[in-house]
Amino acid sequence: MWYKRTIPLLIVFTIGVLAFAHNYVPLRISDQFRERLSEWFRIIGGFALFLGAYSLLHMHVSRIRKQQPGWAYSVFVFVGAAGMIIVGLLNEGYGPLRSAPVGQPTWYQWGYDYIQKPCQATIFSLLAFFMASAAFRTFRARNTSAALLLASALIVMFGRVAIFQTVSAWFGAQSSFARHADGLFSATTDAIMEYPNLAATRAILLGISLGAISQSLRILFGIERSYLGGGD
Amino acid sequence: MAAPRADIKRIAVTRHIIYALLTVAIIVPMLRPTPCSFQPTPNSRRFHERIEQLPAGSEVLLSFDYSPDAKAELYPMSVTLLEQCFERGLIPVVMTHWPEGVRLAEQACHDVAKKYGKESGKDYVLLGFKPGGGNLLLNMGENFKSAFPEDYYHQPTATMAALKGVKTLRDIDLAVDLAAGPTVDMWVVYGSDRYGFPLAAGTTAVAAPKCYPYLQSGQLKGLLGGMRGAADYEQLVVKGVGPAGKLMLPQTVAHLLLIVLLVLANGRFTLARLRGKEGT
Repeated sequence: MWYKRTIPLLIVFTIGVLAFAHNYVPLRISDQFRERLSEWFRIIGGFALFLGAYSLLHMHVSRIRKQQPGWAYSVFVFVGAAGMIIVGLLNEGYGPLRSAPVGQPTWYQWGYDYIQKPCQATIFSLLAFFMASAAFRTFRARNTSAALLLASALIVMFGRVAIFQTVSAWFGAQSSFARHADGLFSATTDAIMEYPNLAATRAILLGISLGAISQSLRILFGIERSYLGGGD
Repeated sequence: MAAPRADIKRIAVTRHIIYALLTVAIIVPMLRPTPCSFQPTPNSRRFHERIEQLPAGSEVLLSFDYSPDAKAELYPMSVTLLEQCFERGLIPVVMTHWPEGVRLAEQACHDVAKKYGKESGKDYVLLGFKPGGGNLLLNMGENFKSAFPEDYYHQPTATMAALKGVKTLRDIDLAVDLAAGPTVDMWVVYGSDRYGFPLAAGTTAVAAPKCYPYLQSGQLKGLLGGMRGAADYEQLVVKGVGPAGKLMLPQTVAHLLLIVLLVLANGRFTLARLRGKEGT
């Protein structure tokens, strides 16, 4: 079907080639084209928010309809979303297109400050507990690579805080040994970050970039078509 | 094969003991705070010096690219950054790529501007959130005011005193990305490399290692990493202990506990290996 396959492929090829080629055209019209293109992309990107919201709500509707385990939590998604949308649109009587005066507390801010902020912070904080428990149960120096990883982890944990000075301060002492030990761990941590970590990160970045370039070319020339749907 | 019942029970008990120990390790130092002394790292010093070198009236673009889950690490950094800008007479231009970051940005700007008696639109600008990511940066690089025709309070940016000298991203004297995610890559690729403005970053501890290649190549002019970076920066700017500095003690005790747990677990594992049976 040409309108489902050929036209989208032509649009992708034309826009892709233009977006790439305009970088090599040193004319004012090229700059204007880039400016217009970036505005279009932003407008199209805005629709992704609607798509994301639709996808989220659709998933939770089907959970409630099928009464899957934990379906009651999905009700909270709707309660939360509806609550924030309503107070956001009402905006203390100023409406969605005007701002409430600077510094005036609003219900939208209240919902963010006293519900969203503590909830998100709490969920993220739980990671510390899971990580501590998982590290204790599974992080073992079973071979040379694991031993090296363990040693690096311990050095970085020492180096990112001042353990020796803190412990000596508990005993009311200001030891120069503690200061030097913390300084040594801090410098070793920086060295780990600046050499082995940097080398590995750069290799990963290069790999990702090469992969992105090859994937972009595949999409541009119509070899990769899975984004069109239909399974091929 | 399913794990024996006794093993499952032992793992559950161990897990709960670790949770209890970690809770105590975090809460007790918070209840009995004692100042934690440490020297700022060279990266934190470089970040601070970079801002100190800017002449008064320079435009500093701050991107609050984080949500409340990274607030403990990045919010103190953001507040200190605004304080340094206002102290030195710089003009912070604040934006975010994350919708959840708007309120945090608004709160930080409002509180710090009130402390220093600064006025929105004249001494600083809060642009708020716009979708688009890299495309937004390209748009800002071509025409800053078409990307943000209004600020967060619906005031037109075209006539705004604080943005008088800013036509494109090229007119920004320094940009700082306060990032909990992958936005530093985006700022480097679509922002600083393309339009040639200096860029620095403040990130969560977990995101910092990924920024080191940019730091070494000079694409990042400074880096603050995690709570330690925030605490270092506070020491350099406010010459004392701030909110991040106070949180360094619970973090220190939690690290100490984790180190002890790892040493114990590996000691037990090594002993079991030496005796000829695989430990857990």
